[in-house]
Amino acid sequence: MCIRVYVPSHAGPAIVSQPEPKSPDIGFMDRHHFLLRRLHSLSGIVPVGVFVIMHLFTNAQMMWGQDETGESTFQHEVDFIHATPALLFVEIALWGAIAFHAGLGVLYMTGIVPNVMKYRNLDNWRYTLQRVTAWVALVFIFVHIATLRWRWSMFGWFTPFYARVDAETGWTHGGEAMALPLTAYALQYSWLVVVFYAVGVLSVVFHWANGLWTAAITWGVTISKGAQRRWGFMCAGLGVALTAFFLAAMVGALKYDLDSDMTERQQKALDKVVPTWRGDAPDSSNE
Amino acid sequence: MNASQSTTSSTKTPSTVRIKVKRQDRPDTDPYWQPFDVPFVANANIISCLQQIASKPVTADGRRVAPVAWDCNCLEEVCGACTMVINGVARQSCSTLLHELVSDGTGTTDEPIVLEPMSKFPVLRDLFVDRSRMFNNLKAIKGWVPIDGTTSLGSGPKEDQASQDMRYALSRCMTCGCCLEACPQFTFDNDFVGAQVIGQALYFNMHETGAELKDDRLEAMEAPGGIADCGNAQNCVKVCPKELPLTEAIASVGRQTTVHAIKSFFTGK
Ligand code: SF4
Ligand code: SF4
Ligand code: FES
Repeated sequence: MCIRVYVPSHAGPAIVSQPEPKSPDIGFMDRHHFLLRRLHSLSGIVPVGVFVIMHLFTNAQMMWGQDETGESTFQHEVDFIHATPALLFVEIALWGAIAFHAGLGVLYMTGIVPNVMKYRNLDNWRYTLQRVTAWVALVFIFVHIATLRWRWSMFGWFTPFYARVDAETGWTHGGEAMALPLTAYALQYSWLVVVFYAVGVLSVVFHWANGLWTAAITWGVTISKGAQRRWGFMCAGLGVALTAFFLAAMVGALKYDLDSDMTERQQKALDKVVPTWRGDAPDSSNE
Repeated sequence: MNASQSTTSSTKTPSTVRIKVKRQDRPDTDPYWQPFDVPFVANANIISCLQQIASKPVTADGRRVAPVAWDCNCLEEVCGACTMVINGVARQSCSTLLHELVSDGTGTTDEPIVLEPMSKFPVLRDLFVDRSRMFNNLKAIKGWVPIDGTTSLGSGPKEDQASQDMRYALSRCMTCGCCLEACPQFTFDNDFVGAQVIGQALYFNMHETGAELKDDRLEAMEAPGGIADCGNAQNCVKVCPKELPLTEAIASVGRQTTVHAIKSFFTGK
């Protein structure tokens, strides 16, 4: 049953009636309005949010560097993930969830009137930032997946990610441990990349932590002010932890010296997948 | 009233106050601005300034104009009719005192006081808006207790103190629209219902007899424009002049709709 909540007035003292409300899409979207809104909320938590925790935790291992054979804890975790059965389907489900969350999110943002300049308070800033970071995160996640995972070359920035590469044949399903050097190479390409990642990841972290906080209200988990405040501390704690993971990953990737830290075989493997790395990396490419 | 003048003795008290009014002659004409100067009287409220203008409708530049129209009724912040946007913030013009605005921080100020009609409701004339949308939403959620009938229903059920306290707080809503004016999700022409009616849905759902219509209310709350469109900016609770626990009401109705939706998924038609 669909009860339209708002009925324009044709009775009473009204001289002019409120314009007919605009719904994003009469039909399917309206009939399943509540369900879609709740699925939108849920998809941000599981699988997208939970994946972000795992992803940032894995990346934080880059801080520990690599041993003399090129192996590292980071590599170990990447190998573990790559050994997941039917990984491609897991990935497609994840991309689908991100697209679903982003698509509905963009639709739900149409027409809203942020007013933080008039009603200046912390909660209203949170509300506004949640929507700003949504856009930043959308662009960031797209570029991130397109360059590293789909191995697109964007603006001459070619930074494909492979877990392992064979030093002799360039075969990308085994061989040298390349997770750390390839990530380091991507980030050290230019300081702009570092800024892009910092802004992008921090936006994702804020959007996730704040989204978790508001989801608890939306679903009716935290009702009292005290409950909302206590849950707020927990979400803030999650945000701080994820920021720390990100910083650890950043330090790990930036302190990795491509010229001296790679083994000879890693260098040869890198030659196979990114032949231009010596000329391009690092810093000389800022122009 | 000379005594009242001394309350702001350390700062210069202006003898007149400039008031900028956003005017609109008819619902379908364009708005325009007009400045008025009114004598400063400490403890005067905005309504008395509007009465001053009505008694002598001459603009600050000396033009005689039609008096400014506004809505009001109780003059003691219980009816909600006089709500307008005063210096950018929605509040009641009967309970907004002049000296609060002119002695704000800097003592006296040369900044005019700016009066606008609420932006989320159709303007009938000047500061007078049509708030029917809120009343229609109350109808849509069946904001009443169903006791009509031909036989006596006997005495009502007992209510515990905690629920009474909460319901008393919710009962204070005066349908003023401040919470909607401040809500970034509630716009002039979308179908979001906003915090006002969500609060009232909880109010009637918590009533033992009113709860008979709970499912209908929750279905209305799950419809397009219902509770799921709240974005948790929590502006509503901060601007509500009657201090309704709106965010707690939104979370409670959020829980009721979650439970209701899951139940009807498994047991509904
Ligand atoms: S919490 Fe925010 S979005 Fe929800 S009704 Fe209140 S002001 Fe509007
Ligand atoms: S909830 Fe508060 S702000 Fe909203 S209409 Fe009622 S009294 Fe006004
Ligand atoms: S006149 Fe009733 S609230 Fe101001």
